[in-house]
Amino acid sequence: MERPIAQATAHNNYIVNVYSDRVELVGGWQQQKLEKIPLREIADVRVRGFVNCTLAIANNAGRIYRFEKLALPDANEIKNAIVRQRRKAGLFE
Amino acid sequence: MRRTGLVLAIALVLVLLLPATAFAKTTVADIKLAVDTVWVIVAACLVLFMQAGFAMLEVGFSRMKNVGSVVAKILANMGIGIVVFWAVGFAIAFGTGNAFVGTEGWFTHAAPDAVNRVFSGLSWTEVPLSAKFLFQVAFALVSLAIVWGTMLERTKFAVYCIFAVVFAGFIYPTVGHWIWGGGWLSGLGMQDFAGSTVVHLQGAVAALAGTLLLGPRIGKYDDEGRPQIIPGHNMPLAVLGVIILWIGWWGFNPGSTMAAVGAPFADIALTTNLAAGAGVLGAMVVSYIHRRHVDVGMLGNGALAALVAITAACAFVAPWASIVIGFVAGAIMYLTLIYVDRIRVDDPLGAIASHGMGGIWGTLSTGLFATPALVRSTGVGDPGLLYGGGFHQLGVQALGIICAGGFTFVTSYIVFAILKATIGLRVKPDQELNGLDISEHGVYGYAESLVATDNYPANGNPFATARMQGELWRDR
Repeated sequence: MERPIAQATAHNNYIVNVYSDRVELVGGWQQQKLEKIPLREIADVRVRGFVNCTLAIANNAGRIYRFEKLALPDANEIKNAIVRQRRKAGLFE
Repeated sequence: MRRTGLVLAIALVLVLLLPATAFAKTTVADIKLAVDTVWVIVAACLVLFMQAGFAMLEVGFSRMKNVGSVVAKILANMGIGIVVFWAVGFAIAFGTGNAFVGTEGWFTHAAPDAVNRVFSGLSWTEVPLSAKFLFQVAFALVSLAIVWGTMLERTKFAVYCIFAVVFAGFIYPTVGHWIWGGGWLSGLGMQDFAGSTVVHLQGAVAALAGTLLLGPRIGKYDDEGRPQIIPGHNMPLAVLGVIILWIGWWGFNPGSTMAAVGAPFADIALTTNLAAGAGVLGAMVVSYIHRRHVDVGMLGNGALAALVAITAACAFVAPWASIVIGFVAGAIMYLTLIYVDRIRVDDPLGAIASHGMGGIWGTLSTGLFATPALVRSTGVGDPGLLYGGGFHQLGVQALGIICAGGFTFVTSYIVFAILKATIGLRVKPDQELNGLDISEHGVYGYAESLVATDNYPANGNPFATARMQGELWRDR
């Protein structure tokens, strides 16, 4: 089975997983909610803050997923993984 | 037969002569010093044994998948704490200096004839410098152990190690100097006999700072933000931890006389134990009123809160007052624990309630219940409000709580914030869900077949199955 390239815990039981072709957002008390965003549908990824960071992932439809209270290294790892995978995917197209 | 008789006769003569020779130059002062030193070393052993109590308490309140990381953390902190406190902490706390920090005695070193001049903060006790250090470092380790009770099951091991250096080397000794080392709060007459504020409140406040930045464990709060119970895996172990701590307090409070001859350590042991018993009762009554059953964890925390509370007051109050102090401590611990849970501060052990609120109440209670006779014999501060001492002592106690707590919170928050911005405080989600034992230490605390993780297919997560097959984060 596939393992995530990058992973972080955010406020309110949210878990952000980055895979080679998609980002998966796991939420809910018992991780019962799952949303998959293909990398090609991601328009923008931003990290704001220094200690309690906010990670914002925007998709092409204009929806913005905000994850709060991440550590800076974790947020940067997610962002860099998404950017890197998108760049790789671009190379293959 | 004759030879045997001769040997026996010589042996008898030696037995009669040697002690006389040995004690020929021994004075009463030497014997007093020896007895005092033995008492301080025994007390230091008891206080150090409290680490075993913390280990069992934390193991009991943790889930099986994390117990290895708990005991590893305890050992690492003991190692770091002892070395760092020896190098710098002891000098900052008890070295001669200004009103805020000690500036002499680095590496716990002083010429044999200058010990009292270099370590003026502890010049009131005559035991050797090494005994003073061993007793005080055991206290520093207790304060450090308190910090981690709230941050269990989700914190990176490196965070424990780095913060331990700063806490044992700077934060704890600075407040220790203010109150015990001849600093500005001791100048005002603050009464904190064995460390409700210095040891316990500091540990709890640092824990609060860390927990606010760390965040709750995954699954602690449901989708509506209501706190959920994540039960520990072994209540008997947790209770064993409480009882070990209770026994350790026999060294913690009575040992703080740092002398045996002429010291009221038996009276202090009495107030300490009465308070602990009353703390159990206080928590039991409130638990039953609130939940209609008696919560085992709450009973343990009730005892601890009471022991924490009586720590400041043990040498200043009468036995009846220690019962009041302990009972109230057990009750307010329970209420604080529920409040802390509701404001989304995930404290698996209840350390903020038992050590934090217990520390605050205990420090204030001295300003209420300190008797004139005991204050006179101890020589610190004024009698309490209920004995006609007025509000002065209560005010000094409150000032100490605010300043010591404020300083510890701000400095700890800064350190944890720096750590969060650089290496991060929290392990990866998969590590947290699978348990820290494998990812952080490469071994389970229990046999692998016994350990349950949170990743099971029934929880609706389609990736749980993959995780169950052993694909741990570390295996990538």
